Amino acid sequence: MAELAAEAVRVPAGVRHTSLQKFMRRRSTIAFAMTLPLIVLIVALVIYPAFYSMYLATLNKSMQRFVGLGNFEFLFRRATFWMVVKQSCIFAISAVFFKALIGFFVAHFVHTIPTKGQRKWRGMLMVPWVIPTAISTIGWFWLFDPSYSAFNWLLGKFGVDPVPWLGHPLWARFSVILVNVWYGAPFFMIMYLAALKSVPEQLYEAAAIDGANWFQRLWYITLPMMRNIIAITVLFSLIVTFANFDIVRILTAGGPVDQTHVFATWAFLLGIQGNDIPLGAAVSLFMLPILGVSAIFILRGVRRRTIEA
Amino acid sequence: MAQSRLSRRKLLRTTALGAAAVVAAPYVRGAHAAGRLSIGFWDHWVPGANDTLTKLCQEWGEKEKVDLQIDYITSQGNKNLITIAAEHQARSGHDIIQMPTWEPLDKADALEPVDDIMQKIIAENGAASEAAQYLGKSRGKWVAVPATNGSQVKPPVARISLFKQHVGWDPTTAYPADGTNEELAEKWDWNMFLAAAEKCHKAGFPFGVGLGQTTDSVDWVGAVFASFGAQLVNEKGDITVKSDETRQVLDWFKKLVPFLPNDVFAYDDASNNKWLVAGKGALIMNPPSAWSVAKRDNPEVAKDCWHFATPRGPKGRYSPGLPYYWAIWSFSPNKSAAKSLLVHLSKLSSIEKMVAASNGYDIPAYAKALDFPTWREVGPPKGTVYHYPPRGKQIVSLAAAPAPPKIAAQIYTQATMTKMVAKCTQGGQSIDQAIAWAADELEGFMRT
Amino acid sequence: MTAVTAGELGGLKPARRGSIQKSRRQALFWSYVFLVIFAIFFLTPPIYMLVTSLKSSGEISAVTNPWWVYQPTLENYVELLTQNQFLVFFRNSVVVSVTVVAITMLISVPAAFALSRMKFWGSATLATGVFLTYLIPETLLFIPLFKIFAFLRDVTGIEFINHWWILIILYPTLSVPFCTWIMIGYFASIPKELDEAALIDGAGYIQMLTKIFIPVALPGIIAATIFAFTVSWANFLYPLAFTTSADQLVLPVGIVTTLIKGDVYNWGQIMAGSLLCAAPPLIVYAFLMDYYIAGLTAGATKG
Repeated sequence: MAELAAEAVRVPAGVRHTSLQKFMRRRSTIAFAMTLPLIVLIVALVIYPAFYSMYLATLNKSMQRFVGLGNFEFLFRRATFWMVVKQSCIFAISAVFFKALIGFFVAHFVHTIPTKGQRKWRGMLMVPWVIPTAISTIGWFWLFDPSYSAFNWLLGKFGVDPVPWLGHPLWARFSVILVNVWYGAPFFMIMYLAALKSVPEQLYEAAAIDGANWFQRLWYITLPMMRNIIAITVLFSLIVTFANFDIVRILTAGGPVDQTHVFATWAFLLGIQGNDIPLGAAVSLFMLPILGVSAIFILRGVRRRTIEA
Repeated sequence: MAQSRLSRRKLLRTTALGAAAVVAAPYVRGAHAAGRLSIGFWDHWVPGANDTLTKLCQEWGEKEKVDLQIDYITSQGNKNLITIAAEHQARSGHDIIQMPTWEPLDKADALEPVDDIMQKIIAENGAASEAAQYLGKSRGKWVAVPATNGSQVKPPVARISLFKQHVGWDPTTAYPADGTNEELAEKWDWNMFLAAAEKCHKAGFPFGVGLGQTTDSVDWVGAVFASFGAQLVNEKGDITVKSDETRQVLDWFKKLVPFLPNDVFAYDDASNNKWLVAGKGALIMNPPSAWSVAKRDNPEVAKDCWHFATPRGPKGRYSPGLPYYWAIWSFSPNKSAAKSLLVHLSKLSSIEKMVAASNGYDIPAYAKALDFPTWREVGPPKGTVYHYPPRGKQIVSLAAAPAPPKIAAQIYTQATMTKMVAKCTQGGQSIDQAIAWAADELEGFMRT
Repeated sequence: MTAVTAGELGGLKPARRGSIQKSRRQALFWSYVFLVIFAIFFLTPPIYMLVTSLKSSGEISAVTNPWWVYQPTLENYVELLTQNQFLVFFRNSVVVSVTVVAITMLISVPAAFALSRMKFWGSATLATGVFLTYLIPETLLFIPLFKIFAFLRDVTGIEFINHWWILIILYPTLSVPFCTWIMIGYFASIPKELDEAALIDGAGYIQMLTKIFIPVALPGIIAATIFAFTVSWANFLYPLAFTTSADQLVLPVGIVTTLIKGDVYNWGQIMAGSLLCAAPPLIVYAFLMDYYIAGLTAGATKG
């Protein structure tokens, strides 16, 4: 508003009133016209479908009858549903934890080596993030293949029995999480690396002179300085991992016995494949609470940025 | 490769040369002259089988002046089921789409009735098999045409040498290429299967029979259930899973699973094929596609393969069947052209070509189409697929039958039976827990 | 932010220079060791894919050492690139991605400019709203969208489902919010004096955007472009749910659903196709790594 006033002052006093109004009108019309495509896109293809999804979730299977919360009631009585809830949480939390952990340490290692070589290493370590997930997951799928697993071949050389990578529930969950960690860790690395670079070098030098060891420097300097970026990255990753589809779909399609399904894959199975759109919509709506909670936290960070801007 | 278009101009050129062909067109032309037809066929597992089907369609397209667009949709990853469901929901897509087992009945409301052409086809080809009728007719009317390409059963395919050496039973003498040694064949029941599985497991060549969630697993497990008399849901729609028969069959699986590779629960339709072709196992339950691929990629294994009847259970010998159908969507704009093409593909001469191109993989639904020379002749070893089509006193089992179609379709796509097996073996639950779980699932399938 | 000053660590004993250098050398050594380990972890799948893509079906089925190629062959690549189907996927992917990038830029650059510079009623809320939209995953939206398109077809007679261009409508929902967000950030960092100067010179808002903001914020625009490209190149769920015919598919879904088939040993071809699909983003990345990383770190992106 302050700038507006400043502009207004520059306008000669005589024509001030009307031209200011015209100016205002022009300015807001232009601004509105410029944002209109964005608003249309978001309202038509994100907000409206999101609400429509809630409506769909209240219909019966053939979508001819309103059943209120009947679908949710139905889901709550299904053991498989609770298993999917549990798995989605296990999947998201453990994958994000390891992504954050690996990302953090790798960023640290890259940061330690001389600046000259950092670019090369950074470039190499980012590769998993750059390849489309569906594609890299096929590569993993082939590495895990029951008859041709290259991992099992290596293990066989050491006399270890073949591992049922995708055949045993525990191993299958492990594999799915492993692929997710593999794919997501570089992103954490790059975010942390950027944050590490912003920590003033003098702090470390001072600490080193004071005889702080590696762990103390990490605990008392690095972590506090990076707290914000860690929080926001983890939240983001949590949302996306929670909503993941590609990896589970391609690697296990939910099996064995639904024990790797997450919300998205199960919703796809029920809704599109199983012809039960309302039930699928109901399942996918369960991603909303976690989205809401994350959004509140992220908003705080975002507000800060908007204010700074 | 998976798609072929015929340009109209090229067509006109060819047909102009042979105007006689146009005159001789068998179906009422004019109604659909120079139209366009899109077809979603099942993508065949036997290398080269798609090409023959494409050629058959092109023959018809040239005659009828219809542009064709053919998509071959794989069943791997259930891509075909996704496509069918998506087109059903969207009420648009291909004109003709190929559907497995329960899909035609499940989607019957959206399909064009084909009773008229089926009358003619049956008049020429002989009666349709019981299995084909069971899944192709809704309230006495045909809703889809039984497809030749892809219709299959999944009896055992075994490595002859490994069976001779480790099991001491030679499938080639029990099921020779010209008949059946009743005495030896009589011994071939699920108990002997179990004993053979144990022996081969000890010898380091475990059976690669899947317990995953795709058709190969579901079909053969369904046949075992049927031959023990275990039904999940009866024809009236009552849940009948809590029975002694179910307990028996699960008990049998509990004995079998320790002798299988440890990742059979993640098997998809390609895993068992790879297991056999890689030479790692003594037996899989599969149509001759695994053997056909081995012929190309690993000939030593192929020469050692023999297809023969499914083991017998207390309630009879059930061969795991998977019939396919060609269905016409009711929203198709070219129904008459679609019907004309399906009549063409259902001619005995067309059927014979498909059977030959698939090395005998395809099992036609009609009485007069079950004695082509292909099954006797292809090899090596010669006669390996003679006993692949169910001969003698075999019943074709349809997994999830006799449940009402809507429920059966759910049992089939959700793989309830293999999941029950997994629960009480790998999952460490008791048989009763697995049955209780299934009852709960089945209740969920009653949704309307 | 709690910055810790050296003073708070004052209680620790002063150490000798030599030991600092020694510990630095040690840290360096271990850093390299771990970097090598992680590089192996990160690069194993792509390298294994490359190895497999150079094998013939016969060699794969022969169960030899899976990590080594005994008879390298390019037949898988040749076959893919001469086969119409794969080229159709590639073309669809290219057309979709390029169009989506263009649409994204056309929508998000002006919007970001308006939101960051031409403050109007509700602009702050809208900016936040745009960002929140970005947090709604496509896995929540595909089912209602599926119904909506079926409904639209009934009303308008236009078929949306099973056409590759449906993705041009859908992908901007994934790329626009974040790109707008990045651009708001970049525009906000441009000093206000610049626009005042422009206004005094009599420039309109449009001129201000094209003459000043776009050139100055070019690095941000490049980063946003890369983002939009990678998102639309890699998405899997929308094409899986909305396209089925072989000639309508884009690369990732085309590879997963049509190259993997019953014909058991075409894994060499699948891997070749996968690498060809991964190549464009990798090439973009190799040349524009710094912009790419700048884009990623500009705001936190999906991970």
